[in-house]
Amino acid sequence: MAEVVLTGITKRFGRDTALSDVSLTVPDGAFVVLLGPTGAGKTTTLRLIAGLETPDAGDITIGGESVLGLTPAQRDVAMVFQQYSLYPHMTVRDNLAFPLRSPILRTPEHEITGKINEVAEVLHIAHKLNNKATALSGGEMQRVSIGRALVRAPQLFLMDEPLSSLDAKLRADLRIELKRIHSALGATLLYVTHDQIEAMTMASHVGVLDHGRLAQFGPPREIYENPVSLTVAGRLGLPRINALPADLFPGAPAGAATIGLRPEHIAQGEGQTAQITRVEHLGDQTRLHLSLHGHDIITLTDPHTDLRGGQSIAIAPRKPLYFDASGVRLA
Amino acid sequence: MTEPSAESPADKLARATPPRVARRIRGLSDRAIAWIFVAPSIFLLLAVNIFPLIWTINLSFTNFRANRNREVEYIGLRNYERILTDSDIWLTMQATAHFLFWTIFFQVLIGFTLAWLINRKFRGNDLWTTIIVLPMMLSPAVVGNFWTFLYQPQIGLFNYVVSFFTGVDPSSFSMIGQVNLAPWSIVIVDTWMWTPFIMLICLAGLRSIPDYIYEAAEVDRASKWRQFWTITIPMALPFLMLAVLFRGIENFKMFDLVVQLTGGGPGSVTELTSINLKREAFEKWRTGYASAYAVILFVTVFGLASIYVKALNKVKER
Ligand SMILES: Nc1ncnc2c1ncn2[C@@H]1O[C@H](COP(=O)(O)OP(=O)(O)O)[C@@H](O)[C@H]1O
Ligand SMILES: [Mg+2]
Repeated sequence: MAEVVLTGITKRFGRDTALSDVSLTVPDGAFVVLLGPTGAGKTTTLRLIAGLETPDAGDITIGGESVLGLTPAQRDVAMVFQQYSLYPHMTVRDNLAFPLRSPILRTPEHEITGKINEVAEVLHIAHKLNNKATALSGGEMQRVSIGRALVRAPQLFLMDEPLSSLDAKLRADLRIELKRIHSALGATLLYVTHDQIEAMTMASHVGVLDHGRLAQFGPPREIYENPVSLTVAGRLGLPRINALPADLFPGAPAGAATIGLRPEHIAQGEGQTAQITRVEHLGDQTRLHLSLHGHDIITLTDPHTDLRGGQSIAIAPRKPLYFDASGVRLA
Repeated sequence: MTEPSAESPADKLARATPPRVARRIRGLSDRAIAWIFVAPSIFLLLAVNIFPLIWTINLSFTNFRANRNREVEYIGLRNYERILTDSDIWLTMQATAHFLFWTIFFQVLIGFTLAWLINRKFRGNDLWTTIIVLPMMLSPAVVGNFWTFLYQPQIGLFNYVVSFFTGVDPSSFSMIGQVNLAPWSIVIVDTWMWTPFIMLICLAGLRSIPDYIYEAAEVDRASKWRQFWTITIPMALPFLMLAVLFRGIENFKMFDLVVQLTGGGPGSVTELTSINLKREAFEKWRTGYASAYAVILFVTVFGLASIYVKALNKVKER
């Protein structure tokens, strides 16, 4: 059992507060994705759970027991570091074998070899096993780093932007692999990413961090459809949600300062007339860049549309989200 | 009647002025310019290194004596034969090997340990580094003199300290005067003086290991002991080997400190090859013989150093 619970975690670096009063429950076997802009405290959260940093306040439990007094080794977590952290003087094979060669484990050598080959196969690095860790591309280093976590079977995986430097195809492949490995092992996984597709497709829960605070925590669809604030709404969704003055369209509730419109939540052919400034054909979808009373709006339309820049189109909100002046969602 | 000249005075002047220096230099190829830059160093190298080396090799086949004005004869490999079969010279070589081995052994052991301790971030480690490095900054002549006093059986601090810890009478032994102790006396002084050098280089090596590697190892559940042997040592090894190379070459040529301390004695137990060589060349004036001796030493150092550098490169490539 590896339910991870953070209660009231605060972490300061000198005068900077990296995390303030973060409480979070990662259910056993869940795949939790942490989202947030750079500097939001995502890496710090993982490092606190791994035991590489000590919180200034609050408690962390894994499997029901406080781990604050435990070393990283005793916590039995595997971590994929943002900056790879490979052992530069070892080959890829030795890097992958390192966690298994622990004297406590006494893993027989043939078992180690088998495990390494298996993981290398999954990550497409089998042909690089005898390379030195420094003689690799960024994407290869990142995969070795993932591999070093996967060779072990810990109760908890921590992954800090593990797919960030891979090309699109490999990223798509590994998303599926990681998801498969996760369900096969049944381990708990805490995963940091910037990529909203990763968040939407892999996560059972998403936590949105903003300036060291946990803004919202829940299933990805709920975060997408029911964001508690404008910042959270801006985290998920591509193209980003359109944030416009509330009085641009009729029907805003009292106190609303901003109306948030997802690109797919704009009805065409009714309502107010907007100018089309640009049409982007992306293949599977077409983006319309509109201008309404001087405000830019992005919406989606039929891939085979023959709308052109310069034409006009009538638009009306559908399922709008309203926020007050401080960005908090109005019910 | 003078014909009107076709050339104006200005044209004549222009022709008489050579192209400007800058233009001439720009006209040279890059290669030529490169040669102009390195030529002075190459010339100096040839004059003070290569020429004497070749001349020494030449002299090593003769019976030349620099203090006599007699006919010089080429005697083939006789000098080499005599040196390599001389048991005194083998003793000298042994003394040198003893000195080299033990100085490097102690300096690496103590130097690395000190570097490791200093590298653990504690308050005042900069001050400690400065204090530890002091001996290295003194002149060997001063160090030699200074330790001669410390080693005095009657008044020397060294003997006093030894007697304090072991209870042996301080005047019952003489580090410099006794055949069994004299080789150790020079090992101790050289270690005292040059351990800081090894420490500094090891410290650079240890500081070059980023913290995140230890963090990864920590998460991979490697004990501190295992981290030391699988991360610290392998990653600091190239630095350590470089330090040993520097000290090895320096100590093979060790001269000043030993001359100050023991002068090669008692008897000739601390007569290292460099001292022995100087005696042959400039006290006995057997120039040809000493040349052959120098060539043998050169080949030895050069051979050992080459093998060592190969090993060093292998370690770095790993
Ligand atoms: N070791 C550290 N020393 C000082 N400040 C740090 C340290 N680690 C992180 N921080 C600060 O904490 C904040 C959160 O950092 P981090 O967790 O790395 O953000 P993220 O991973 O979300 O980009 C940042 O403002 C960063 O500057
Ligand atoms: Mg980060």
